[in-house]
Amino acid sequence: MSAQNPSASAAVRRRLGALALHPLTLALAAAVALLALGEAISPGFASPGQIVSQLTIAALLGMVAAGQTLVIIGGREGIDLSVGGVISLCAFVAGNLMAGTDAAIPLALAATLALGFAVGLLNGLGIVLLRIPPLVMTLGMTGVIQGALVILTRGVPSGRSAPALTALMNQPLVAGIPGVLLLWAAVALGVCLLLHNTAFGVRVYAIGANPEVARIAGMRPERIRALLFGLSGMFAGLTGFLVLGYTGSVFVGIGLQYVLPSIVAVVIGGTSLAGGIGGYLGTIGGAITLTVLQSLLITLDAGPAGRQVIFGLTLLVLLLLYGRQRGLRG
Amino acid sequence: MSAATSGIGPRLRRSTWLLALGSALLLAAINLALQPSFLEPGVMASNLTTFLPLILVAIGQTWVVLASDIDLSIGSTVSLVNVVTVVVIDALGGDAAAIAAGMAAGVATGLGCGLVNGLCVARLRFQPIVTTFATGVVFAGLALMVLPEAGLPVPEVYWRGYAGGLFGVRSVVLVLAAALLLCLVIERTRFARALRASGGQMQAAYQSGVPVTWTRIRAYLLAGFFAALAALCLTGETASGDPLLGGAYALSSISAVVLGGTALAGGVGGFLGSVFGAVVLGLIGNVIFFARLPFEYQTLVQGLIVLAALAGGVLVARR
Amino acid sequence: MPLLELSDLRKRYGGIVALDGADLALEAGEVHVLIGANGCGKSTLCKVIAGSVLPDSGVLRIDGAERRFRSPREAAAAGVGVFYQELSLVPSLSVEDNLLLGREPRRFGLVDRRAVRREAERQLALFAGALGPELAPDSRVADLSADQRQVVEILKVLGEDARLILFDEPTSSLDRRQVAIFFELVRALKREGRTVVFISHRMDEIFEIGDRVSVMRDGRVVETTAVADTDPGRIVRAMVGGEAAAGGAPGAAPGTAPAPARPGDATLLRVDGLSAPRVDGVSLELRAGEILGLGGLHGQGQSALLRGLFGIEPGVRGRIEVEGRPLRRPTPADSIRAGLAYISGDRGRDGVALLRPILENLAYGLVTREGGVAFPRGRVAGRLGPVVERLGLRFGSLSDPVRSLSGGNQQKVVIGRWLATAPRVILLDDPTKGIDVNAKADLFRMVRELAEAGAAILLYSSEDGELLGHAERVLVFNGGRIVRELSGEGLTRHALNEAAYATPGATPGAEAGAAA
Ligand SMILES: Nc1ncnc2c1ncn2[C@@H]1O[C@H](COP(=O)(O)OP(=O)(O)O)[C@@H](O)[C@H]1O
Ligand SMILES: [Mg+2]
Repeated sequence: MSAQNPSASAAVRRRLGALALHPLTLALAAAVALLALGEAISPGFASPGQIVSQLTIAALLGMVAAGQTLVIIGGREGIDLSVGGVISLCAFVAGNLMAGTDAAIPLALAATLALGFAVGLLNGLGIVLLRIPPLVMTLGMTGVIQGALVILTRGVPSGRSAPALTALMNQPLVAGIPGVLLLWAAVALGVCLLLHNTAFGVRVYAIGANPEVARIAGMRPERIRALLFGLSGMFAGLTGFLVLGYTGSVFVGIGLQYVLPSIVAVVIGGTSLAGGIGGYLGTIGGAITLTVLQSLLITLDAGPAGRQVIFGLTLLVLLLLYGRQRGLRG
Repeated sequence: MSAATSGIGPRLRRSTWLLALGSALLLAAINLALQPSFLEPGVMASNLTTFLPLILVAIGQTWVVLASDIDLSIGSTVSLVNVVTVVVIDALGGDAAAIAAGMAAGVATGLGCGLVNGLCVARLRFQPIVTTFATGVVFAGLALMVLPEAGLPVPEVYWRGYAGGLFGVRSVVLVLAAALLLCLVIERTRFARALRASGGQMQAAYQSGVPVTWTRIRAYLLAGFFAALAALCLTGETASGDPLLGGAYALSSISAVVLGGTALAGGVGGFLGSVFGAVVLGLIGNVIFFARLPFEYQTLVQGLIVLAALAGGVLVARR
Repeated sequence: MPLLELSDLRKRYGGIVALDGADLALEAGEVHVLIGANGCGKSTLCKVIAGSVLPDSGVLRIDGAERRFRSPREAAAAGVGVFYQELSLVPSLSVEDNLLLGREPRRFGLVDRRAVRREAERQLALFAGALGPELAPDSRVADLSADQRQVVEILKVLGEDARLILFDEPTSSLDRRQVAIFFELVRALKREGRTVVFISHRMDEIFEIGDRVSVMRDGRVVETTAVADTDPGRIVRAMVGGEAAAGGAPGAAPGTAPAPARPGDATLLRVDGLSAPRVDGVSLELRAGEILGLGGLHGQGQSALLRGLFGIEPGVRGRIEVEGRPLRRPTPADSIRAGLAYISGDRGRDGVALLRPILENLAYGLVTREGGVAFPRGRVAGRLGPVVERLGLRFGSLSDPVRSLSGGNQQKVVIGRWLATAPRVILLDDPTKGIDVNAKADLFRMVRELAEAGAAILLYSSEDGELLGHAERVLVFNGGRIVRELSGEGLTRHALNEAAYATPGATPGAEAGAAA
């Protein structure tokens, strides 16, 4: 550190305090507590192998949630319900492009990302040009994509993952860690850098926190917002690509299970649905916590019903902790 | 000509349901062309039977949306009411009293779900989207606990009564008429005005002495009530319990509400538009079926029409 | 015993102190005027009485009994009615629905729409002939003009039949005829023994209608007198707390008199026949080193001119040249790159992003001016160091949210944002709204330094003292036009007042004759 003033230790202490209260820390602490609980109830729950497989599931959720984080931070009720449709669509397209051959992977990846981005951008244009609320726009888009998929697939699972992609998802690459986790780390680094160390990131937070201030400071909130939806589509596309590797082949509704958890992961991670604050680190914590919670509920043998009830109640408790809105009285 | 079009914007803004009515009539005409028997009473009644649950759920959703909130749990509420009703009827032996008790339990369940949502959103000030998603998960889980698998038929009188009628009028028509009458009465209360004021500009409504919190809670109660009504109708239609019955209703009710011209931002719109919106969604299915398009086209076309209607509504209102 | 008594009311919003121990007593049947600079806490005081703001501490008594309103509903039940400055109308509802919101007449438990219409028509008839033909009971409030909305809000409060009615700047958009009708209604209220609190910035109105006047400054009531025992000069002195604080900046560079503009300095900004919504054919020239003031009553187009120049509001016509280069249909980004900066006193709306770190808020201007991809926080902080130092900004850490700062320091962040871009022309839009005396002094010290360093400054202020103390020339606005130019010997408080107050902001054209 450079030259210090007398209050340096106070500053360090404050830093540490902030770190302890960071959503990522909180969420990871919750995840560790859940793991410990699981281990106590069913030994082996927190074994390295189990942890890796849970992280793999969390990685998929975490990638969708990356895009979700961006649109939510961008404010104006930003939310992307179409990620599920995009995941399904992109998994389908990727599966049919690669049709089980490794050689087609680059092409399939490029096509997937481009397609995801295009769909997302379409959402964004509808939202900023036609001023359709994001919730409805992306919901309508989901209908269109699902409809298109049903027609394209005729309801039969189709496409096949290439062996290398499947290996990326399911086989250890280095030190027992599958490639997908390394990929997630890379994505995380990229998103965090984008949000915190680029001018674009500064603009994203600005338009989310106060679009009028951003506009007066010469930013273009509409353009940025549309772009954010494009990026969200792109991350959903990437997820679809990986989901294909994870499951081998694709059925129409495969992506829909990710929609609401991706939003919940963002919220648990401390990003406000009102926009302008939060970040991807918290979302990572949220995705991991959510995944561990779900698998703990499976281990508990609570049955599908009990799992859902506990899951929902947990969310409500989390909302109580940091999901409250401003009161009407000043 | 320009004088005439200049009046459309304000007109549409006030009667937000006109666009949905127009779309419904257009689709009905297409339907009639494709299916000449469309206007026969039997066909109309069976269409109404199919559309009625969504109509009711959409009406329920409308109150909540008018207050600028949303209810994503409304589908799970439908499921929960359905299973509670059949389980109570079954447990009490299935006679007329049991049926009445079951239906009452169902309505109470719906109101209970609405109350939970209303308290969380309006009283505790949770964000409505995430909150009702979470309560929806809980309600769905509870439904699975009450009745883990589809089944448990209701007594014959229940579904026969629903399929039949009273004084020569079909039950579905009676239910619809009663629901619309109830809506008309609600629309004449101070509550309906408080609702639009709260949804239009919550701070102003609060400062004007409108009981905003209680108004929002009542909107969720109404959503729960209409969801319960829809569930009782569905129970009559399927004649049994199914914990997954309500699955798709949350999202399709929102589509219907939006198609009907009610603004998601709150304050503008009304139940009538949602009724037409639900009918439009239903008729799209019919048209696709009779146009011999594969059934798979339904979601795509519905999605496109919802988006087109939204875009159109925005463009018209902007003039 | 007073009808209403407030003692030691306090209210903070984050770092901003809105009420700082305010006391007030209202007698039954009086018209009590409340006056004070923008941001001194008048509206907050009203809202506390109305139950829509909960004070941090303090006591409110009605008829001697201590009351604690938990909602506007409770206050209304106790006989308090409020005209809210920002209005309490629901834009998406009709006029009649707004007028009777929450107290609609009912028959058999249901709203009697015909009675609603009758009642609304009866109320609107009070302003018959002064509202324009397009105002019908079923017009949407969103479609009304500013004056029509204020009239509706007036009628809405009157309909509440309250014992105590607070009017928070009800006349700011009304024309002379509407004001006259309003005053008749106030006199009628008085005859019925009701108590009225009236807030206005227009001196003539205060002396016309008021019985007693209380002056507020920095969250406190500093003086209460009978209107008959005071005069505008004394009120203004009480408002600004002595000439020194209002005019010259204490602790500023020696020589508080405005630096004379150096002849021959380059013209940095030339505006020719600029029109925009609320601005009507304004031309002006601004030289390097000059501080040009924009005066006149609030809302006469000064702010609209500045916002139009900077490209914030669309619909600007006319020629704009910055350093000789034309600026056509500017957007904020164009203006920033051309060397303009815009500092508004309305921090919440267009100054700071409260939730974001101080560092980012300071860097918004740079990000636009310089473009670029990376945002190296450490290096940006280093670059902003001198600016932060110069501002005398007090903060914990640059990564703390702006919300943690006091109002004055928040405003310094806005200024710092623009200082960092080294602007040539600085547009100040009532920049001292709601900041304390010291922060004001700091601000103007900086503005002078910038001018001395060769920047050109266009200053709109709703406080005359600031114009008198810092501007060499003042253009007085009325109805979107420049109606008077004051400079040198002619630039006095009296002349400013005369030019601004002589003509209650009426239709453009009317003031030309009145000013003459
Ligand atoms: N809701 C609020 N949040 C934050 N600051 C506020 C709020 N309301 C008022 N303030 C601040 O409190 C101070 C007093 O404001 P106000 O009572 O509106 O003054 P006045 O009506 O005299 O112009 C100002 O500095 C204003 O910015
Ligand atoms: Mg005020």
